[in-house]
Amino acid sequence: MDRFGSVILVAGLACFAFAFLLSGLYPYMITDHAVPAATIEDLASYVPADFKALKDAYPVSFAQRFSQAEAALTPRELVSLDASDPRRGQSEAAWQAAYAEALIQGRNLYISEVCWHCHSQYVRPVANESLRFGPVLTSDHDNNVLQQPVLWGTRRVGPDLTHEGRLRSNDWHVAHFFNPAEVTPGSIMPRYTWFYREGWQVMRRIDPGKADRTGLDPERAYGYPGVWETKAEAEAAMAQIKASLPSTLAGEAERMFVAEAEGPSSDLLSLIAYVQWLGTWTPPHLEQAQ
Amino acid sequence: MTSTTLPLPGDDAHEEAHAEASAAVLVCKPLVKWHFTFAMFFMLTSMTAGFLVSLQFLDLYPFQGIRWLQYGRVRLMHTNEIAYGFLVNAFIGALYYAVPRLTGRRVASHGLGWIILVVWQFLMFATSIGQMLGFGQAVEWGETPTGFLPGTFHLVYIPVDFLIEFGAVLLAIQFLTPIAKAMHSKMYVSLWYISAGIVWLILTYVMGNTLPEWTLNGSSGAATAGLFIHDLVGLFVTPMGWGLMYFFVPIILRAPIWSHALSVIGFWALAFFYPLNGVHHFLLSSIPMSVQYGAVISTMAVEIVVTTVVVNFFATMWGKGHALRTNLPIRWFYTGMVFYFITCLQCFFHTTLSVQEIIHFTDWVPGHAHLVMLGVFAFWCIGIITWLWPRLTGNDWYSRRLNHWQYWLTMIGLFIMFVDLLAAGLMHGFMAKSLVPWMDIVRALRPYWEVRTFAGGMILLGQILFVWNLFQTTRHSKPYDYRVDLVDPEAA
Ligand code: HEC
Repeated sequence: MDRFGSVILVAGLACFAFAFLLSGLYPYMITDHAVPAATIEDLASYVPADFKALKDAYPVSFAQRFSQAEAALTPRELVSLDASDPRRGQSEAAWQAAYAEALIQGRNLYISEVCWHCHSQYVRPVANESLRFGPVLTSDHDNNVLQQPVLWGTRRVGPDLTHEGRLRSNDWHVAHFFNPAEVTPGSIMPRYTWFYREGWQVMRRIDPGKADRTGLDPERAYGYPGVWETKAEAEAAMAQIKASLPSTLAGEAERMFVAEAEGPSSDLLSLIAYVQWLGTWTPPHLEQAQ
Repeated sequence: MTSTTLPLPGDDAHEEAHAEASAAVLVCKPLVKWHFTFAMFFMLTSMTAGFLVSLQFLDLYPFQGIRWLQYGRVRLMHTNEIAYGFLVNAFIGALYYAVPRLTGRRVASHGLGWIILVVWQFLMFATSIGQMLGFGQAVEWGETPTGFLPGTFHLVYIPVDFLIEFGAVLLAIQFLTPIAKAMHSKMYVSLWYISAGIVWLILTYVMGNTLPEWTLNGSSGAATAGLFIHDLVGLFVTPMGWGLMYFFVPIILRAPIWSHALSVIGFWALAFFYPLNGVHHFLLSSIPMSVQYGAVISTMAVEIVVTTVVVNFFATMWGKGHALRTNLPIRWFYTGMVFYFITCLQCFFHTTLSVQEIIHFTDWVPGHAHLVMLGVFAFWCIGIITWLWPRLTGNDWYSRRLNHWQYWLTMIGLFIMFVDLLAAGLMHGFMAKSLVPWMDIVRALRPYWEVRTFAGGMILLGQILFVWNLFQTTRHSKPYDYRVDLVDPEAA
């Protein structure tokens, strides 16, 4: 009978090992095994314009998070630099470092806020999904560090996010995470208000005479992007905006003022960078094949 | 077996009385009681969490804007507390009762038992707090914090996963010791299930909490994550559940299990086919199709085998059907088995790719999951606790009527929720396929979500009544006479 007991034990373990081999290791052997997984440096080698735009729009939050923010220069900043300025040469590397940081942090927030319980990240070749969400991806597309742990998800309360990158603007996301139902009426996505910090913002009312044409509400103030730590900084920013107004809009300057407001924190910038990245990366060997 | 050991399940009332007396020496009743108490605690917190998150779908979530109580994190607590806090505690409690009686030996050490009790509750609180702080992982059913930032070795929180692993090893020492000692005699099928379940838990847990996090990504990560989801249910929860059913059903019905051979077939078929199902959680994905087809076929195979197990139990009850009316634990058990059969039948169909096309990503799946986790395993645990609680406290029920209220509220509530979510899932699936705008789908599902919240409220209410009843029973002065609950007392 002792022998019988050990037979049971071995057989039980063998069943487990067999399953592991067939549904764990075998898929690995025939998919991801051949090409090494893309590292974060690979993913961040190309820094898209919409990430750079985040620095222009939210310089304070941006500087708070990214260690090399100073050295990463936006196109606007580059214009004012000498052609021979050494900072030009360092800028792109600084951007790549910041982008890599942003993607990792954004992915970590996507996990820790549990977005993956309501959003999937894989499009299936059935049910017209590629018409709704975009092309079906191969296992090579997901063979990268940001899919470890895999974020495919199993439930779609909200839409699939595989191809979410660049579908919407940064500003859309800033407004949407603060109050989804205001951007998409009827949305049941939670409000992520803790991603916003208090500060000062430049605001402007609409010319009542033009309200009809713009469809905007003359009673309401509309904000410029960018939320500043102190009132003085916001006023400086306002002076800059006023200075750059074309002469035809000179009247607008009078309706500008500075007010307390909430703006995206550095966390939200990372999350947005991650969401804007989704679906924008193609593994190099597939790109060459195209 | 020696003559000092206890009778096997199925003996008559005379021996039952004898067993009651000597089991008191073998079984450390306070340990059983405390594990059940914590099981009840986590059941209530988990169900409250589930009820709360359902309100998010109705725009009524009360903690909107509070980060640590936000929808997603409370949603993690709902599933993890039910699996690891409620089910595992209830199973451990029942094992403290069943294993000594099945083997005729004490567990390894009662002192160790108290350590396990404390360690496990500590880990459960650490899990929930970690999830509230945002350290939950992105591996379904394995959201218990690893303590590391995703994919790195940067420790930011208590490494709960590794400690759970340690706790599982302690459990193995505790329960496998008496089982190993009893191995020379003929092992009853319960012990197969129980010992295999404990060993598989350790293996499954290591696999699911290391590979998808640190080594495998993308499609192969998904394959192992699917394997983990399924192994956890199939190689731990299911064997524990059936192992306990094979113990409790015959002693309550006082009838031997209909066919021992069939029970052994059921066990080995489960061991072989169940873990091969994992990939069916990610069908129609970029996991190689050969693996997906394999998962589909073995899923179907499981359902055929499951039928043999269910048949075995219904044949055992042959001629004793009136117990369903008179004996509440039996009613919980057999309702659970009917639900088990329905769930498995569902699997058979919805693992096919054409049904997957419609129902995947929809409410159909939570409907299915509630039927199996609540309708089957929670029902069985509740049945076991109902059977044991008066024996553990020595007091008669404070109110038997409350127990019946609990049964009907839970049963009807679950049934409403199940049907409701299936309907919602079908609607979602077909609307999505017809390219209806996303927000129109969300709006169309709202009435279903309202019904779901209502049904969830019924279930929660039922369990509150139960816990209240358990609490009052511990303070009830009327001593318990076990003969009241015997099936066929005239045969005694
Ligand atoms: C309760 C489920 C739920 C959770 C949790 C959730 N969402 Fe959503 N999400 C939705 C729904 C429903 C929509 C569609 C309506 C809308 O646009 O708000 C949506 C829409 C979106 C969209 C816009 C998609 C499009 O139409 O382009 C993005 C981007 C998004 N969510 C990202 C996130 C992120 C990031 C998180 C985590 C921080 C998150 N969601 C958490 C339900 C959820």
